[in-house]
Parts: sequence; structure tokens; C-alpha cells
Amino acid sequence: MALRFRQEPDRLVAEVSGEIDHHSAAELKERIAREYSRGTAKDLELNFSQVTFMDSSGVGMVIGRFKDTQTRGGNMAVSGLSGDIKRLFELSGLHKIIQVK
Amino acid sequence: MAKHNFLANEVLVQMDARSQNEGFARLCASAFIAPLNPTVSELTEVKTAVSEAVTNAILHGYEGREHTAPKVTMRMSLQDYTVTICIKDEGTGIRDVPLARTPLFTTRPDDERSGMGFTVMESFMDSVEVLSAEGQGTEVVMRKRFSNGQDSAAN
Ligand SMILES: Nc1ncnc2c1ncn2[C@@H]1O[C@H](COP(=O)(O)OP(=O)(O)OP(=O)(O)O)[C@@H](O)[C@H]1O
Ligand SMILES: [Mg+2]
Repeated sequence: MALRFRQEPDRLVAEVSGEIDHHSAAELKERIAREYSRGTAKDLELNFSQVTFMDSSGVGMVIGRFKDTQTRGGNMAVSGLSGDIKRLFELSGLHKIIQVK
Repeated sequence: MAKHNFLANEVLVQMDARSQNEGFARLCASAFIAPLNPTVSELTEVKTAVSEAVTNAILHGYEGREHTAPKVTMRMSLQDYTVTICIKDEGTGIRDVPLARTPLFTTRPDDERSGMGFTVMESFMDSVEVLSAEGQGTEVVMRKRFSNGQDSAAN
């Protein structure tokens, strides 16, 4: 798993690559939450276009970041979902609470 | 003799209950089903289901017992284009299996768990059986029949 940040006006974009599972989710959570809390941007976008695998640990991690943005009064979006990851989002109802670009 | 008996195979993998073995278990499952010429989605479905069951064994089954050098075993067998994968731990067990299988049910909401693991296994595999009792460990038996690449051209 690797992570890169891009700061846009009032939005933090986190570009994730590799595999998101229980093993990598804790570090992802920590690094994204830290970067978001350091900055002042309200909105958060997670870009998953380079993610090669995700399971329910990723779903929990996305919900966690969604809650962070709610606390700050911002919006959250996810982008670059592959068909398989989209399926996980739909199965868990995530697509109803989080904007999918 | 069954027509496709040349594919018959069985493998037993025992691993330390450590999170780095989640990826290892996924790789083992991919390698095991490779002779079935799986489609890209079949491969993802099996890898995801295996990841869910192994993660549950490590995270829930052996929570707080890391000092006991716990192990997770994965037994995979193949018969006539149907793969059976059993993932077993000797951990805490599950008191109420139907409740645990309910979508969004989790005993660890604090830990950013979504309670979707069993739901994912059920929707990605043809069948999922959970054998468990409190204090007796847990065994998850999943089965999936493969199309043998018949629709891989369409993917
Ligand atoms: N091997 C196991 N040993 C003990 N308890 C388990 C085991 N597998 C599952 N459970 C129990 O069943 C519940 C539901 O499991 P499930 O995988 O559906 O969700 P989760 O693991 O809590 O969250 P997620 O998989 O979405 O991260 C768990 O919270 C846990 O209490
Ligand atoms: Mg789980």
C-alpha cells in the first residue's frame, strides 16, 4: 500500500495505491486522519484508481474518514473505483452516503 | 471416474495468525484455483472471501491471545470445477452465529469495522457454512463452482 496527498483549495485528495486489507488499513487510517486534521481543508477525496484489492476493512476505513469529514462539516467523495470495489460499496450501502465520482 | 478428476487436488496451509498472512492467504487461494482458468471476477471474489475469513480469525478469533502463538489453517480442495475452502481458528468462537452473519453486525465498531465480512463471503461464494461455538474456535466452509473460463472472453 502506498499513499500520496494532493492539496487543492479547501480539499485534501488522498491517492491510495496497492491493497487495502486489515493489514494495511490501520496505517492508511492513521496517515489520512493525521494529514486531514493537520490541514484546514473541509473536504476529503479518496482516489482509489490505483487500488488493486480491497475487502471490508477498506469499507470500515472509508466510513471512518467519512465521519471525520462530518465532524468538520465537510464533504467526502471517492473516485477511481474499479468494478470490484464499486460492488463492495454497493453491497455495504456506502454509495448512498458517500459521493462516488 | 469423473470426467474432470484430473483437476482434483487438496492443499493444507497453516499460518501464524498475523495480519501479514492475509495477503499470503489470498495468494495461496489464487494459485490454487489457477488451473480452473478463473475469470477476473471469480478470482477477485475468492480472494476477497478468503481475506474476510482469515482476517476474522486473526482479529476476532484470537483477539488478546497473541501471546499463545495462534495459528490459522486454510484447507482448499478441488473437485469437478468446485472449490471448497475451509478457514479455521482455535480462538474465542462465536456465541450467536446468525447474529454474527447479519449485515452490518460487528462487535468492534470502535475499530472501524463495518460488519460486512460475512455478507461479502456470502455474496461472493456459492455457499458459506459457519461452524462455531463459544470457546471452541470457528470454522468457515465456503464453496464456489467455476465456469472454467467459459465467459472469460466476455470479460
Ligand atoms: N473467527 C471468528 N472468531 C470469533 N468471532 C468472529 C469470527 N468471525 C467473525 N466473528 C464475529 O462476527 C462478527 C461479524 O463478522 P464480520 O466479518 O461480518 O464483520 P466484522 O469483522 O466485525 O467487520 P468487517 O469484516 O466489516 O471489518 C464479528 O464482529 C465478530 O464478533
Ligand atoms: Mg470481518
